[in-house]
Amino acid sequence: MNRDQAGARRSVWKEPGVIEDGDAEVGGWLRRPRRRGQGELEAQVLSALRGAPGPVAATWVQERLEGDLAYTTVMTILSRLHTKQAVTRERVGRTFLWRAASDEAGLAALRMRRVLDGQDDREAVLASFVTGLTADDEQLLRDLLKGAGEEPEG
Amino acid sequence: MGIFVFLPLVLPLTALPIARLAEQHLHPRSATRLLSAVGGVLALCSTLCLVLLVVVGTAQLPGNPLPDGWSDPEVRAAVPYDEVAGKAAIGALAAVAMACGGLLRRHVRVRRQAHEALAGLPGSPVAVLPDTQAYAYALPGMAETPGREGRIVVSRAMLACLDDDERRALIAHERAHLDARHHRYVLAVQLAARANPLLRPLRAAVAYCAERWADEDAALAVGDRRVVARAVGKAALVSRQGPAPTLLGFAAEPMLPGFALPGPVPRRVAALLGPVPPASGWPPAFTAVGLAAWTAAAGTAVSALSSANAAVALILVLTAATPL
Repeated sequence: MNRDQAGARRSVWKEPGVIEDGDAEVGGWLRRPRRRGQGELEAQVLSALRGAPGPVAATWVQERLEGDLAYTTVMTILSRLHTKQAVTRERVGRTFLWRAASDEAGLAALRMRRVLDGQDDREAVLASFVTGLTADDEQLLRDLLKGAGEEPEG
Repeated sequence: MGIFVFLPLVLPLTALPIARLAEQHLHPRSATRLLSAVGGVLALCSTLCLVLLVVVGTAQLPGNPLPDGWSDPEVRAAVPYDEVAGKAAIGALAAVAMACGGLLRRHVRVRRQAHEALAGLPGSPVAVLPDTQAYAYALPGMAETPGREGRIVVSRAMLACLDDDERRALIAHERAHLDARHHRYVLAVQLAARANPLLRPLRAAVAYCAERWADEDAALAVGDRRVVARAVGKAALVSRQGPAPTLLGFAAEPMLPGFALPGPVPRRVAALLGPVPPASGWPPAFTAVGLAAWTAAAGTAVSALSSANAAVALILVLTAATPL
């Protein structure tokens, strides 16, 4: 991955991860609104789209989401999903019609890949099951597995 | 106090031989605990020592907010080469603080992003993602946020290359990481390595020992060490093409250039194919292992004592110099 791509990916993730529902400002700090993370909202929009009979407009999605999400919020989430290639869109007249291109697990996989690929500074946060192999390591490993009576395929 | 104030800065030199001996001879559980405890104490002492030098160094700067008495000759006499050491320590402490802060920020950010990525999936402890790249991770939970418990993340490509027994071994391995909170040990030595670069050998050693610990726990859970060995070996061979394992592989960096040690994966497989490591706690004193353990304990104790000594001495000098 080149540097520009990495930068672009990171900038996507730097956006605030939390969008507040409905009339969040009305109650202020006294009435804490239920906060939904960006990931949860994306999943809800995607699952609404997956239940659609065909390509639908953003207002269709907005009506089917629980909580009063602003139209612009729904559009923002749809654009994010489009960037991640989890939805496709087609222009009909002056509006876009949206269609789901993957399921919830597929979306999670896309997002997880983004997190993993963004870690180019080799910091350990997640404990990986296995780590990289050098050419010598690979030969040694094949010999060990052969000795264990198991012919590794591939 | 004298020259002893510098001792905690240099004593972490003992980390390299200790790490090497402990990871080869001790049970991985004891080795992980011993090495991260040694790393943590040595790093704290080294930082305390830096703070003391910074106090003396800052007091010499014109316009500093510290009491005037703290720049008296008696105070400066407490630290050898106070002019150079005091000012160098200011820069060093700032660098340590920035490095540790940056590491913690990145750690929290990646954990939050990874949980965000999994939001919307059913809350099962194992999340299987449809990905063509083979990976498996233990994602520690975030205690402050409900609904973000520790999870295991496995890609379909990884599961596809393993048979049923090996899949159980893989899940048991990741389960062991989560249950024993291995990420805390790894994070502790990573912070320690930033507090004092001489502690860097502990990073790779603790990462390796934590993997071995999880391997041994998985072997107990599955009841067959060879199954775990096969799972680790196959997974490594399948994921070798992808870029992800080296990106996040925390033991991937060479420990010292010139030492042609095999990488962590072949050593793990070889250890699993070998005999069960002795589970005894403290090793006898007159073996290589015992010597290493005792040297570690002694070095840590000396470091702790000399930094405590330096701290008390300096506090006494400063109290005497503070105008009432």
